[in-house]
Amino acid sequence: MDLLQIKNMNEDTNSNYSDYGVYSIEDSLELLLPDTIIKIKKIGKNVFSYTRKDAEDNILEKTIPVSSSELTIELAPIRPLNYPARRTDYLYLDLDTPIFLSSGASAVVLVNCPIEIGVFIIHGGNKDSLDWFTCNHVDSRFCLYGNPESGTLCNYSQSKIVESIDSSTPFRNAVIEITLKNELSRGITVSKLVFPISEHSIYYKNSKAIVDSLNGTFKKKLTLEISDVDAVAIQTDWTKSPTYERIENVKHIDLGVD
Amino acid sequence: MLTKLVFEFLQSLSDIEIVGGLTLLSLLIGGIIMGVGVIIARTARLLFTKYYAPTLPQDSAKNFGKLIYFGIIILSFLVFTSTTGVDFSGLLVAGGIFGIVIGFATQSVVSNLISGIFLMIEKPVKQGDKIEIPGSDVSGTLLDISTFSVRIRKFDGTIIRIPNESFFTSNIRSLSSTPVRRSEAMVGIAYKEDIDAAISVLEKAIRNSLPFVLILPKPEFRINELADSSINIEILVWHPRDDWDQVGPKLLKVAKNAFDAAGIEIPFPQRVVWKSQE
Repeated sequence: MDLLQIKNMNEDTNSNYSDYGVYSIEDSLELLLPDTIIKIKKIGKNVFSYTRKDAEDNILEKTIPVSSSELTIELAPIRPLNYPARRTDYLYLDLDTPIFLSSGASAVVLVNCPIEIGVFIIHGGNKDSLDWFTCNHVDSRFCLYGNPESGTLCNYSQSKIVESIDSSTPFRNAVIEITLKNELSRGITVSKLVFPISEHSIYYKNSKAIVDSLNGTFKKKLTLEISDVDAVAIQTDWTKSPTYERIENVKHIDLGVD
Repeated sequence: MLTKLVFEFLQSLSDIEIVGGLTLLSLLIGGIIMGVGVIIARTARLLFTKYYAPTLPQDSAKNFGKLIYFGIIILSFLVFTSTTGVDFSGLLVAGGIFGIVIGFATQSVVSNLISGIFLMIEKPVKQGDKIEIPGSDVSGTLLDISTFSVRIRKFDGTIIRIPNESFFTSNIRSLSSTPVRRSEAMVGIAYKEDIDAAISVLEKAIRNSLPFVLILPKPEFRINELADSSINIEILVWHPRDDWDQVGPKLLKVAKNAFDAAGIEIPFPQRVVWKSQE
């Protein structure tokens, strides 16, 4: 099937996309994702080939020798930190509708959060990263929070407020619950959220994904107004994604209130 | 029996005087002290490199390592001299005079040494930084600042050594001290073209073709000049500091391709000659 056909076919419906999850391959497997096709085929005794093709006809091929006659892989959402390159742990969510919080108020909102896709090989209880990619090349960009001398480089994403945790777009984004609390003596408008996404785990079910929650408190520290953000692990029966990238300790920054 | 033999051997060594009270035995003891000193110095440097150096900046770790090593060696030498009982005062006087002579002859060496110390204290740049020395063709990655010189790996892969004095007194442009950098390019469009439409074409092309260009701060487009043949648009885009090669050299190509695709003319210098008719 041609990618252009797939793209046109899926413009109105997402029903033809593959799901996240674990796949056992004895002979061949074809996974269909937005603008991307993954093909895994047995090419010899205990040898498989892996091919990924995107909408711009970029092809990635790998040969996978395995110890048994079967290959088990996991297709899972991963943190959006690798495209175009791994440069930062921070994510900048630019809310399309700013949230107003009056003094002392708090709010819980669900917003979209970008993801990338990871392919992992499962063997003997271990999960090894085979490949990663994004199904959203055009929107995966960097931005700067702060000034050019001392600001923080972030992965940028425009984010919509959604109604439920099932409102993610398959393979393009996930949903994150954000609890905002305003402890300042004045009302504030929140139009962007900047936080280290490397502290958040991602969970999936079918083709939907959710991210660990985020608590954001706007408060006064000495004379400065800052926003204090923390990751909060969620309790869910969704499957937790393996970790693609090496986790490093992230230096926390105090985010200013504009 | 063996002890007696060893004792007699050592006694014979202590009887052999080399120069001014320095016996063969004291020289042997001194040698053992220096040997032990070197082993301790190496062990201390190894332990420091393994356990403490990873927590320090690369260049500081290297300098501390040297300080520990040579500090213990010098200490061993002082112990050695005190155990031999040799009077070095005469040597010191001679050494002082000799030092003055050597000092005059090695001014540049001393100058480089002092500059190196100041570079290590001031730390205008650190190991691994990408730097440029304006006014010269030197730009690249700083490999190390050693006692007498600085080594830079240029972007063409070659390594250049610059004496510390020359490096210390130069203007140094750091390309790594900020999280982002800006790249610029200039492109001209014909006078008949719509400026806003041309800027919109550039914006879309940069967004789609250059993934390392930052969304914020937004790319800027300034009308730089109403020139003889063209309206010159200056393009200013920000990108992560280490990704200049993914943006700077590609900017003009992206602009040219975008204008070609949109049918926007990039003019070249033209002269219109009017011939008068009588």
